[in-house]
Amino acid sequence: MLDVRGCRLAFGGVKAVDDVSISVAEGSITGLIGTNGAGKTTLFNIVSGFLKPDAGTIRFRDADITADEPSSIAGRGILRTFQTPVGFPRMTVMENMLVFSSHDRARRRSLFAGTGVPRETLAAADVILADFGLQSRRDSWVQDLSAPDLKMLEFARAMMASPALLMLDEPAAGVNPALIESLAGRIEALRRQGVSFLLVDHNLRFVCSVCDTIYAMADGRIIAHGAPDQVIRDPRVLELYIGKGAQRRNEKPEEGDVKQ
Amino acid sequence: MSGLALFLVSILSLGAIYAVLCLALNLESGVGGLWDLGIVSFFGVGAYTYALLTAPPAADYQAYILGFDLPVWVGAIAAMLAGALCALLIGPPTLRLKREYFLITTLAFAEVIRQLLTNENWLSNGVGGIYGLRPPFRDVFDPATYGVVMLGMLLAGLAVVFLISRHLIAAPFGRALKAIRENEPLAITAGIAPKRQNLMVYVLAGSMSGLAGVFYIWFNTIVTPGQFTSDVTFFVWTALIIGGLGSLRGALVGGFVFVILHDMLRFIPVSGEAASTVSSLRTVLIGMVLIAILRWRPNGIFPERPVKFPPTAPPVPAGAKAMVSDNA
Repeated sequence: MLDVRGCRLAFGGVKAVDDVSISVAEGSITGLIGTNGAGKTTLFNIVSGFLKPDAGTIRFRDADITADEPSSIAGRGILRTFQTPVGFPRMTVMENMLVFSSHDRARRRSLFAGTGVPRETLAAADVILADFGLQSRRDSWVQDLSAPDLKMLEFARAMMASPALLMLDEPAAGVNPALIESLAGRIEALRRQGVSFLLVDHNLRFVCSVCDTIYAMADGRIIAHGAPDQVIRDPRVLELYIGKGAQRRNEKPEEGDVKQ
Repeated sequence: MSGLALFLVSILSLGAIYAVLCLALNLESGVGGLWDLGIVSFFGVGAYTYALLTAPPAADYQAYILGFDLPVWVGAIAAMLAGALCALLIGPPTLRLKREYFLITTLAFAEVIRQLLTNENWLSNGVGGIYGLRPPFRDVFDPATYGVVMLGMLLAGLAVVFLISRHLIAAPFGRALKAIRENEPLAITAGIAPKRQNLMVYVLAGSMSGLAGVFYIWFNTIVTPGQFTSDVTFFVWTALIIGGLGSLRGALVGGFVFVILHDMLRFIPVSGEAASTVSSLRTVLIGMVLIAILRWRPNGIFPERPVKFPPTAPPVPAGAKAMVSDNA
């Protein structure tokens, strides 16, 4: 459904993204791994329209979205998250949800739309908030939320938006290890509802457990791609994460995990 | 009416005009995130549009265009449209800029407009201004009580602007503005187009300020470029910060509190020589109140409050929780 072809973007002399081609199949969970500075977030910014590539095309469901405004890309059903989930601080949790609702999306350009929110919209938001344990914070300002609650709200907003493609930038970062498993469960549940995923994360165990396909990036390039256990056994990827000679020292990475 | 009553009526009238400006500024700068330092532009353009359309043709010793002697309501609608049109012209270049860059550019545009009104004699009679503009229903009522009628009209106008403003803020339109103010990149991912949303609110604030310009002429019956210096912009900002940025009640109250503070010193009995010194203390007093507010009540008299939505499920009584989840 998402097809990135030959994308390049340089900042001055630094080739942040250098001839990158990736694709996300309908209904799949695709992962993107790589060290800091590999160009993963830049690629996210290009796909979501916040940065324009120097060359290359981005197609989503057979439409060329390379030159589109980020807001209209979002309108097509691509929702991305940010590494630091701050939300809208001086708006309530419920308002944060409503901004992502289809109710608001259809009416925010109108000066004559009513001020009331239909009961079904509020109820749908309440169900999601209860699921994420945020119901008691519903009418509080987001700036008063704890960091874990902010993270939960980020997923709650994403569910409210019900996108076709959800791009998660480090969803497991700062999440309590016990909760990472439940996070994986939620991603899987959403996939069953028809949502496709592109996600970036540094937690390889998490990425390998949820993803069908993984792309590994280094210095702006894709250096490996394929099924998770295949990619993390790739010598170039091993070298990236644990240095040269890794294969010799670590002959059997059987648990599908790489010690960092 | 006694002198004090007349003075009170006049203060409240001016307060109502400032409150309209505060509501306009609150919509774009409190709810939206546009730091507009050119709110006086639309105030002045509205006032002059109204004056030029409703004034009689220019006399021999005057020079201004139009002078169609049109009815009050035509002038008022035209003033709102002119304020909106002015925002529509200034908006596209300035809204590309963020925060302090937007602020300085809007300040510059306001100054350009004031200089035009000052120097283009053929357009606006220059510094001479236009005098003797008759407010509505002036002939119908007894001149002694007309001040009260005027106050009634201004309060009615203020009420309309307040209701429109309240509606816009609570609607999805206002929620999108707040989202842009709070976190523009995240707002974009929700499908909000900041450029379009910002231009819409800028034009709305422009037409509200244009209407405030009409009210100002009703109150003053004269119009000169000197009434539209950037002082007005700073006064409205001060009033809004004292009242509470982002809060409807704050905007409403801020305008009145500001005008009352500003004119309070008129009551001090002083000699003629000391009068000018005392009147210049007005700005000092306002400044001190502003500092006090920022120190002890930084979010204003009525700070912005979280918006409450009605609960969708009846509250679950303690102890019954397990039962409910079993049924679900």
